Amino acid sequence: MKSFHFLTPILIITALLLVACNGSAVPVSPEPTDGSSSTATTLVVWDQFYRDVESHVMETLNAEFEQAHPGVKIERVVKTLDDLKVTLKLALTEPNGPDVAQVNQGRSDMGAMVQADLLLPLNAYSEQYGWGSIFSTSVTSRNSFTPDGKTFGQGNLYGVSPTAEVVGVYYNKGIFAEHGWQVPQTFEEFESLLAEIKAAGITPISFGSLDGWNAIHEFSAIQHLLVTPEYINNLVYGVNNVSFDIPENQKAAEILLNWANSGYFTEGYAGIGYDDSNLLFKAGNGAMTITGSWLAGELVTDTDQQFGFFLLPPFEGKSSMAIGGVGIPFAIRKTTDKADLAAEYLNWMVSPRAAELWAKAGMLPAMSLPEDAGIETDNLFGDTLIAWQTINTNNAVGHFIDWATPTFYDTLVAELQKLLGGMSTPAEFTAAVQKDYAAYLDSIK
Amino acid sequence: MQPNRAYPGEKKWKGWLYVLPGLLVYLVFTFIPILETIRTSFYRWDGFSSEKIFVGLENYARLFTDNDFLRAFSHNLVFIIFYCLIPILIGLALASLLGRGKLPGMNFFRTVLFLPQVISMVVVGVIWRWIFNPTFGPLNLALRALGLGHLTRAWLGDFTLALPAVGSIATWVEYGFCMILFLAGMQRIPEEYYEASSLDGASRFQQLIHITIPSLRPEIVVAMITTIIAALRVFDLVYVTTRGGPGNSTLVAGIVIYRAAFLQNQTGYAAALATVLMLIILAISLLIRHFQSQTVELE
Repeated sequence: MKSFHFLTPILIITALLLVACNGSAVPVSPEPTDGSSSTATTLVVWDQFYRDVESHVMETLNAEFEQAHPGVKIERVVKTLDDLKVTLKLALTEPNGPDVAQVNQGRSDMGAMVQADLLLPLNAYSEQYGWGSIFSTSVTSRNSFTPDGKTFGQGNLYGVSPTAEVVGVYYNKGIFAEHGWQVPQTFEEFESLLAEIKAAGITPISFGSLDGWNAIHEFSAIQHLLVTPEYINNLVYGVNNVSFDIPENQKAAEILLNWANSGYFTEGYAGIGYDDSNLLFKAGNGAMTITGSWLAGELVTDTDQQFGFFLLPPFEGKSSMAIGGVGIPFAIRKTTDKADLAAEYLNWMVSPRAAELWAKAGMLPAMSLPEDAGIETDNLFGDTLIAWQTINTNNAVGHFIDWATPTFYDTLVAELQKLLGGMSTPAEFTAAVQKDYAAYLDSIK
Repeated sequence: MQPNRAYPGEKKWKGWLYVLPGLLVYLVFTFIPILETIRTSFYRWDGFSSEKIFVGLENYARLFTDNDFLRAFSHNLVFIIFYCLIPILIGLALASLLGRGKLPGMNFFRTVLFLPQVISMVVVGVIWRWIFNPTFGPLNLALRALGLGHLTRAWLGDFTLALPAVGSIATWVEYGFCMILFLAGMQRIPEEYYEASSLDGASRFQQLIHITIPSLRPEIVVAMITTIIAALRVFDLVYVTTRGGPGNSTLVAGIVIYRAAFLQNQTGYAAALATVLMLIILAISLLIRHFQSQTVELE
């Protein structure tokens, strides 16, 4: 029997490996069909609210949903956005994949998934729950695609977003008060303020372009003040054949380059990452920084500095517009057998209660806040809320332009670094980006 | 060596049983995925939908006109200097210092010098991002303290210096590996060679050139193959430090493949890039081994 003993471990390992390779061989406990309230129903939800504060909001919302729905259990899977982007597409093709998941907007994520028929159109549920009265058309079109997944910004609704985002200027209230500086009302005032701050020996704009993506926001924030809302819509949705190589974009690039050359950015900004640049700003290094409302929660904890927020002001005589939009939406897997329950969950995610919890966590809700929520607005959160409401009511919510093509993000990052590094001129910058854009428009014809 | 000879009384198939667990792991997690990647490279596929279109060699034809990939690959070639050439030179120098002399605290030096090799690449990247930070990084602070303020740079954000800066991190990681490899090999060299040569009046440098390096040839070949492969397939280090920037000046093949596969939904094309990269690595490795066996035969 000696040979038997020596074979045993090998056989066990082999068996284990075979089971591991063939996941479906592992027995799964049978799931009850929707509606059978006596046994437990599990709703699998993937979200990317992994930071402490955000995660706590999700836990609270999920617990309250379970309480209101006896027999329903929410199985929450938390991932970072990077991780979610890489794993979600395959997971949605699985028959046991997530029932509800946060799907990033834009062509390479939501568009590709609609094209592969992985997401459930939500038009009927939108009517049932009245989502049309919660969100403006400008907001819902960001989560919409035609059923073939080719045209962005119209067609079916595929997701609802609980949070909102706006890009603007954070400023250090202490530094401003000390020098008697005021929040500028026009872009011209803003630029002379930059020169004044620089002359006082302070870094005007805390900035770091090593990670790349936030340079897109610096450029595009200026761009949004020069172009029209129609242009930004056309550019991002890929309709009406607009070009990136236009004088307005060139001018925005010139202004950005001028800021860099005038020393308005943190010294050595090309070698500083986004988080490091924010750490410097938070420590009182730099008078202002240009980024999104998502940083507000971060700037009120563990710091003795006081910060405020304002929209990058418009050029004299021109209207205001800012990069903004709604956060990553929740969507439903097409093949789920719990669509009704999933839709109810989505409705809960955009309820007044959700708005209240997000606001209390210092994040902008995409839904309007209930009057009686008792949210303190005489603070940094209040500043971002006013900024969001201003652009939302004036139809001045712009776009994150890197959604425009699947390669736009990488192209913009590389070309902006070249522009700021003196390797290309503003004209060469817009021409290089247009090359990417034109190639994409050709490919979807 | 006679690989097919079994021990008396033992059946041949038992040998296969011994390797079976390892073989299975290799087949399932390495070999089959490689075959699958090669198969995918002939399709146009986004990586998840059921629509997979056979396009033959289209992905491969596209690759040769893809300026991003060609440029990225040229950066990989530059990285060979930092991953392979410099670490081997430093490794040789350190090994000859630590290997034969009776330096006090030698084990300490061996351990400390090998340490970078043990740390995860992501951690290495984070550490060096901090060292290179223009505002509060120790490198620029030290330069300023020494009165060399004019030499401070935004290292990782500088178009000409970013590639050598990332490369020097790789050197920092790889030289310890080369050193340990050479130290082990030096145990094999008989002490008499050194004694005899020093009686004949050879200097330490001459001993290094004529005794140590020729004797270490097998170790040098291993170090070359391992580090060149590391230079060609680098992803983590660049991703953590610069993500290929500024302006694609540190773009490497691994980043281009990652972008195509996971961000741009071009899994078929990414598979073609990966296949070509694999073939290049295979060819270079075989070439080095070929030269090695040739020189051995000449002797």
